[in-house]
Amino acid sequence: MASKTYDVLIIGSGASGGMAAHTLTKKGAECLLLEAGPQVDFNRARSLKNVYDLPYRGMGKPGRLSHVFQADEFNANQWVDEAQVPYTHDPANPYNWVRVRMLGGKSNFWARMSFRLSDYEFKAKDVDGFGENWPVSYAEMAPYYDVVEGIFRVMGRKEGLKQLPDGNFVEDRSPDGPLITRFGQASKKLGMTVTKIRRALGQGPLASSLNLLLPGAMETGKLTIVPNAVAREISYDKSGGRVTGVHFVDKRTGREMHAKARVVVVAASCLESTRLLLNSNIANSSGVLGRYLHDQFYIVRGVAALIPEAKGGKMGRGAAGSGYVPRAQNLNGKDKKYIRGYCFDLNTGNTPDTRFFPYFGEELEQKIDEWRGAGFSSTIMGEVLPRYENHVRIDKTVKDAWGIPVLNFQCKYTDNEFEMAKDAVETISGVCQELGWEVLNRNTKMFPPGYSIHELGTCRMGDNPKTSVLNKWNQSHDIKNLFVVDGSSFVTGGGQNPTMTILALSMRASEYMAEQMNKKEL
Amino acid sequence: MQTSQTMEIQKLDMAVGEDAAEAAAPRFFSAAQFATLQKLGGILTPARNGLPGALEAQAAEFLDFLIGQSPADRKQVYTKGLDALQAASVKKFGKGFAQLEQAQAATLLSPLRQAWTYEPPADPLARFLWAAKTDVRNATMQSKPYITAGGGGARRQGATGLYWHELD
Repeated sequence: MASKTYDVLIIGSGASGGMAAHTLTKKGAECLLLEAGPQVDFNRARSLKNVYDLPYRGMGKPGRLSHVFQADEFNANQWVDEAQVPYTHDPANPYNWVRVRMLGGKSNFWARMSFRLSDYEFKAKDVDGFGENWPVSYAEMAPYYDVVEGIFRVMGRKEGLKQLPDGNFVEDRSPDGPLITRFGQASKKLGMTVTKIRRALGQGPLASSLNLLLPGAMETGKLTIVPNAVAREISYDKSGGRVTGVHFVDKRTGREMHAKARVVVVAASCLESTRLLLNSNIANSSGVLGRYLHDQFYIVRGVAALIPEAKGGKMGRGAAGSGYVPRAQNLNGKDKKYIRGYCFDLNTGNTPDTRFFPYFGEELEQKIDEWRGAGFSSTIMGEVLPRYENHVRIDKTVKDAWGIPVLNFQCKYTDNEFEMAKDAVETISGVCQELGWEVLNRNTKMFPPGYSIHELGTCRMGDNPKTSVLNKWNQSHDIKNLFVVDGSSFVTGGGQNPTMTILALSMRASEYMAEQMNKKEL
Repeated sequence: MQTSQTMEIQKLDMAVGEDAAEAAAPRFFSAAQFATLQKLGGILTPARNGLPGALEAQAAEFLDFLIGQSPADRKQVYTKGLDALQAASVKKFGKGFAQLEQAQAATLLSPLRQAWTYEPPADPLARFLWAAKTDVRNATMQSKPYITAGGGGARRQGATGLYWHELD
């Protein structure tokens, strides 16, 4: 059967690919979307089980998904099988690459934390001289954030902070809990603001590409979705200097196929997109494809404390609360041993992890009973500098289940991140101590890079084709009809979760594409 | 000609192996290591408030299976640690850990009174005890005897969860 040539071929159906499909089909473009995983019927794919009915009592099959700290025996099948799609790294410098292959991608499972970047990120070089500015400013991005937040129904409280711009929120009017209020008062003296966690409410059980973006695109009649299509290589016409489509393999049968389009949008998730471009040997005249890999370092429960006023259940459910503290460091140049900054979340009214109690046996259980619901914990999310040295490249010696060469990771954190982590833990535990809370755990050691599932960079934007892969419209400097619209395009990431920015970038790039196609410029 | 019909078939309740059969004799740990782990389990997670402890939940039997399937580094944490605990017991009390009185045994567990750090301790005994404290507790509180007796399970989400089946 002769294949048709689509206006746009989109590779990936997660946040960025879904937004590209959503935007382009509404502008009249006929789109083909390829997804490497299946369409999942959530009702059939999951069922309620007792933990003791699982073969490993919920403790997980040993050795499976060793890089996915988020995996447990209940959810192990939702992640990409590392044996099927492996990757390589120096054992001394592990990378936790956490992947999902199914329609909707990781947007089916994200934590829904929804923050904007600011000019502290878009124009970071202007603040501290490190790295590069983005080729776009906050003012250019703001209208797109507005629309994205409306679609995803982001709930938040406006604070008027320059480093964490307010958005088009479903207003969060709920009061802070009494313990969060106390923390907020104590931390204000240090220039910190406690706000509500900004979170996408979505619709129904999901805030995903699957329910918020793809259905509308399908309704236009302009979208064709092919699941289980693993992209192997983007086809490129050297004489015309244009991409022509993509070679893919049907995951279930191994059958090799080729799809054709006038424009190709790569949205396979940060590192799968870069892997595909590297394997296609295109779009890299700059030599920086694969470079400047960054994310946010995470220290989960980096500070844990006991709250005496809530001990023994004295506050009941009134002890429960949560909050979010945006970056408060280096906002006026450099006033720390490190550049950039960190965010952290707060959680009160929890029961501290048993590991943190230096007891065992009956004594441990008594302590847990005493302090049940009287714990404080904070997870630190720090900006990681985009460094040339941190990169991915193709490892031709290892191939995945479909014979596609895999990625090799060369990535590690450096003193800037370590100093930032130390400062964060000291600062947060200092506030706890001032409040009379007993600090139980102070951990400055972060998880390996990748843990946050916020991998960014490797296909960055920029005005200079010699130092960047994409222009300000997420368009390849080298190949006019090739766009990359996911987190790989980031120049810097800040400490904020990146999904809102990925969505806004994809929408902005897609509107530009549609405009250019209408003008016959693509 | 057969027509498409919805099939209504009664779903039958199934047991798991542990409901119907005993675990085989230890296959991974030596007899001495297993006896040490069993004794340790009873101290780390004792029965309390009418709920079974590690002994009743057969946590040691389960860990023999789990650790036996684990990567080499995890296996070593257990075997080296159990051997170190046994050696410390013989040195201090002249008998194996499994034969100690509860109070005697507890004196050998002082590493569990140190503050937790992300990097596990270098000392094999301390490293093992830190791992065993969590593993024994999970193996106990996520067991059927513990949960059906009214325990909530060690998981933060409780005793039940949405299980993802293998995707097509």
